[in-house]
Amino acid sequence: MKNFYDFKVDNIEGLSAQEKEFRNKELDLFNKNGFPNKREEAWKFTDLNTILSKNFANITNDYISLKEKKFELIKEFDHNYLIVLDGILVSNEFKFEDKNKVLIKEYDYKKQISVSNQNSLNLLNNALATGGYNLEISRDYKFKKPLVVYNYFSESIKEKIISYKNSLILNENSELTILNYTDTKTKNNFFVNSFDYLKLKKDSNLKNIFINKDRCNCYFHNYLKSDLEQNTNLDTYILSTGLKFNKMDIEINLNEERAKSSIFSALSLGSEEHQEIKSSINHNFKNCQSYQKIKNVLNDQSRGVYQGKIFVKQEAQKTDAYQLSKALLLNDNSEFDAKPELEIYADDVKCSHGSTSGSIDLNLIHYLKSRGIPEKEAYQMLINGFLSEILEKLPEDNLKKFLVEKIGRQINGY
Amino acid sequence: MLNIKNLEAKVDNKHILNGLNLDIKPGEVHAIMGPNGSGKSTLANILSGKNGYEIKGEIKYDGQNLSELSTEERAQKGIFLAFQYPLEIPGVNTNVFLRTSLNSVRKARGEKELDTLNFLKLVKEKSSELGINEKFLSRQLNVGFSGGEKKKNEILQMKILQPKLAILDETDSGLDIDALRIVADGVNSYKNKDNAFLIITHYQRLLDYIKPNFIHVLSKGKIVKTGNAELGVELEKTGYANFI
Ligand SMILES: Nc1ncnc2c1ncn2[C@@H]1O[C@H](COP(=O)(O)OP(=O)(O)O)[C@@H](O)[C@H]1O
Ligand SMILES: [Mg+2]
Repeated sequence: MKNFYDFKVDNIEGLSAQEKEFRNKELDLFNKNGFPNKREEAWKFTDLNTILSKNFANITNDYISLKEKKFELIKEFDHNYLIVLDGILVSNEFKFEDKNKVLIKEYDYKKQISVSNQNSLNLLNNALATGGYNLEISRDYKFKKPLVVYNYFSESIKEKIISYKNSLILNENSELTILNYTDTKTKNNFFVNSFDYLKLKKDSNLKNIFINKDRCNCYFHNYLKSDLEQNTNLDTYILSTGLKFNKMDIEINLNEERAKSSIFSALSLGSEEHQEIKSSINHNFKNCQSYQKIKNVLNDQSRGVYQGKIFVKQEAQKTDAYQLSKALLLNDNSEFDAKPELEIYADDVKCSHGSTSGSIDLNLIHYLKSRGIPEKEAYQMLINGFLSEILEKLPEDNLKKFLVEKIGRQINGY
Repeated sequence: MLNIKNLEAKVDNKHILNGLNLDIKPGEVHAIMGPNGSGKSTLANILSGKNGYEIKGEIKYDGQNLSELSTEERAQKGIFLAFQYPLEIPGVNTNVFLRTSLNSVRKARGEKELDTLNFLKLVKEKSSELGINEKFLSRQLNVGFSGGEKKKNEILQMKILQPKLAILDETDSGLDIDALRIVADGVNSYKNKDNAFLIITHYQRLLDYIKPNFIHVLSKGKIVKTGNAELGVELEKTGYANFI
């Protein structure tokens, strides 16, 4: 049987012999099993191999990035930015900040970061990743404006895999809000397999937001690993509607006292979209908190998956862990699967989880319509209302307004 | 304004309305009284356009067949139902709801939409008339409102939307005597020669404040007796037993 992919380390230029050897080893490991299917723990509900083989003829990693003419920036709120094209850092602008406090450079592949969960896509990322960035914020520095990371993809990219790694370090008592903004209009199919590493040092605070500008025919897998030190706060907001396939594989390690992590997700999936959130929250130390609230609205033929794992080490007493997923199914052809996994070895632990799914209450629609509100608008109001609990939590007024407006458009089907 | 002829309604093969006739003209106030389960809310729901009923007979509103109009079109053309059990809608802000509602109706009537400033002015005026604290308006629609607050909120919506035919389904139930007076004043101040009311109630006490032109007794899905305001006083004394 002919494979629908063909990856070569030799397609990557400028590697040392040692790097080549490492990457080839990782590629061999990947090739043994190929893309994941339901046998893999992290892919219980999804056969990615089948999904990709249906939608790709031959994925390769030999792309050439064409320099795009002009990048369109967001005008609605002041921000700093990075421009990343096909995974490669092209430019940066920190005009609202003290530039001495920000270190930005290309990702350094000599310093590999180990991943606790070596799933096959991480192996593939190790083998093929190029580009990416390395961002470090100095201690005591609090960003004045958000940072937008523009993820552009060339129009010409087609039947390719794009792999890169990013790393972000927040030094002690620093603070930052990032908007990861994917911008591509291409009708071409391509696959992005990225790896992000986040390190939050003592007393630092990061808000990390994901959203897309448009619908596109892309397939995303993003592994996000974070290590949190004492008294840190990491808020992750997943609003990334619009992709054909998207999986966020989130590993959060609460390594010291009073580390706190929240995941908020408000997704309104359009026809034939597939989104997964897989989280592993590791309570490795006492007195840490984790919170997850996942809200999915599912349209025709769309599919949502939430696999939330909470792991509490024996010494992690006074852990407070919460997770809840709610799905609103707009159609009989849509599907939502949720599976909480709790692995708890400490005894003094507050841990709650739950999952519900249901359809729109037609009595509520009638109530709204009886006040003159047209049916379509009534549905939008209820969907918005369903997601509002998450939207209210978005940070910074101007940014929030921008995001809420975007999500409003997503609900209307772009 | 409203002409109902021989209206029958079934749900799941259960007969609820069995040949109901009712004519309402502009400027009139009609009251419907009747025991629990006699079909009062069903009539109100059908007039509002609620799905799920198998209907026979004829309902005309301003000469037009009501069955041709969707729920929202009925509202836009001036039919308003104050629900017996107003629903809670989490995540929907009361002010946003009121404004969307008013502007939908205005748009359908070919009027200009109200901007935020003018809308807030209007809401402030109407809610203070009803003794509704402005804080309620920034809360989620009816969520955590007390029974009486929900009912007042219905009357607020009525006063904002300015319907031609207002149907109040047991709006008085669950109101204390002060709230009852405020609601009744709200109705009386809105009443004029061009609009009409259909008031569903169990109690004479509301009709002490809002004088009806006609009182109808509904029993087993039919109007079994029609009289003037005095009928209410009689019902209060004797109960429904004499009529059903
Ligand atoms: N959706 C429904 N399904 C089944 N029975 C219903 C439904 N709605 C109303 N009924 C029945 O119809 C009768 C009339 O109800 P309703 O109109 O609410 O009465 P009222 O408002 O006069 O108390 C009751 O016996 C009630 O149980
Ligand atoms: Mg009733």
